[in-house]
Amino acid sequence: MDDRRRRFEAQALPHLDAAINLARWLTRSHADADDVVQDAMMRAWRAFDGFRGGDIRPWLLTIVRNCWRTSMSERKRRGHVALPEENTQQPGDELTYAGPSPESAAMQSDAGRKLDAVIATLPDEFREVLILREMEDLSYREIATITDVPLGTVMSRLNRARAMLREKWLGEVESEASHAL
Amino acid sequence: MPCERAQQLEAYLDGELDAAAAAVVESHLETCGECRKAKSQIEALRTALREKATYHRADAKLRARIRASLDKETPRTNVLRFPGVRAMWAGAAGGAISTALAASLAFFLLMPAAGDPLITDITNAHLRSIASEHLIDVVSTDRHTVKPWLAAHADLSPPVADFSKQGFKLIGGRVDFLEGVRSAVTVYRHGAHIVNVFAWANYEEELPDFATRNGYHIVFWKSGNLTFCAISDTSIDDILALSRLLKGLSQTDARE
Repeated sequence: MDDRRRRFEAQALPHLDAAINLARWLTRSHADADDVVQDAMMRAWRAFDGFRGGDIRPWLLTIVRNCWRTSMSERKRRGHVALPEENTQQPGDELTYAGPSPESAAMQSDAGRKLDAVIATLPDEFREVLILREMEDLSYREIATITDVPLGTVMSRLNRARAMLREKWLGEVESEASHAL
Repeated sequence: MPCERAQQLEAYLDGELDAAAAAVVESHLETCGECRKAKSQIEALRTALREKATYHRADAKLRARIRASLDKETPRTNVLRFPGVRAMWAGAAGGAISTALAASLAFFLLMPAAGDPLITDITNAHLRSIASEHLIDVVSTDRHTVKPWLAAHADLSPPVADFSKQGFKLIGGRVDFLEGVRSAVTVYRHGAHIVNVFAWANYEEELPDFATRNGYHIVFWKSGNLTFCAISDTSIDDILALSRLLKGLSQTDARE
């Protein structure tokens, strides 16, 4: 294995989970997410000499998001309409799916499934900042770079995304809790 | 009617404010009930997003597919220089380990093991723990369960505590082997990341303070006769923060 390949595997591949997580949440489809990440990793490989060091994860996620945008515009051009899958899980997923957490996929609670469904209903521009901030723990500046918008826009989108989640999810959880009493 | 400082509160909770601006928000929180409520809701959402929502992971099929594409774009003579390792893993696949797991492990293990064998052992143990879902032998968020279990199964009693407040949630413990020596492992969750903390006794060799292998950061420290090592794919600063918390705990344990 040549040195470039070895460096790429050592630096980029540990972040494959972050790449697939973002792609799954953006595309809301297992198969589409795999295609986006495959495309993104190959672009990252070809562009690897241009990577100037530092944290590679935001760089990779920027490529993942760009590949997703490209795949969406190609679909539109060809006349396909991307339909989000209502339940982000597909039949057969359980066979290959490594689970939401290492403990056990089976342990995911009703609350978790409901939360997934609520996140999936958020509009793209709000869903992506939420995933990048809360699941990937990225800074506003990194999120601004990845999503290609000004810092202020990241802040207002995050604020709006949280407000929507609070309304849709906390509202539901609280009403259930009061029913249970 | 939302408070006009609502957005500042979010920046504060996202760790985006400097000390002076953070102090302003903190004193505002003391007097504003609206913001206190918003704070607890945002924190509840954050916990739910990190612990209840699905964090998707790459499966072996995708890893294999990317590997095959990379092979196509890597000069032929340089690929597959480790037939022995491949054969070994193909053999293992027929045995106890599933093909899927073998594929995902081979993906990492095909890289030549360079440098300190202990670091290789630790990295492989970490990858195994995550890939095989044999992450935890004793599932508990209670140190009073994990600590005695480790004492009984690993003959070691390292400091254990739940640091949920500081962002490191104790999720359990297990026994693992490093260079053939039994070690006690405590497992923490930090956001979407897993941190494995290995502890073992009477290790005489010199160790570096940090190392990075395959993109995983590793931090070493010693305390008494125990050697500790924390490894994760989260940032080095986060791992150092956890190591500081555990060092503080070692000192408390020693005084008790």
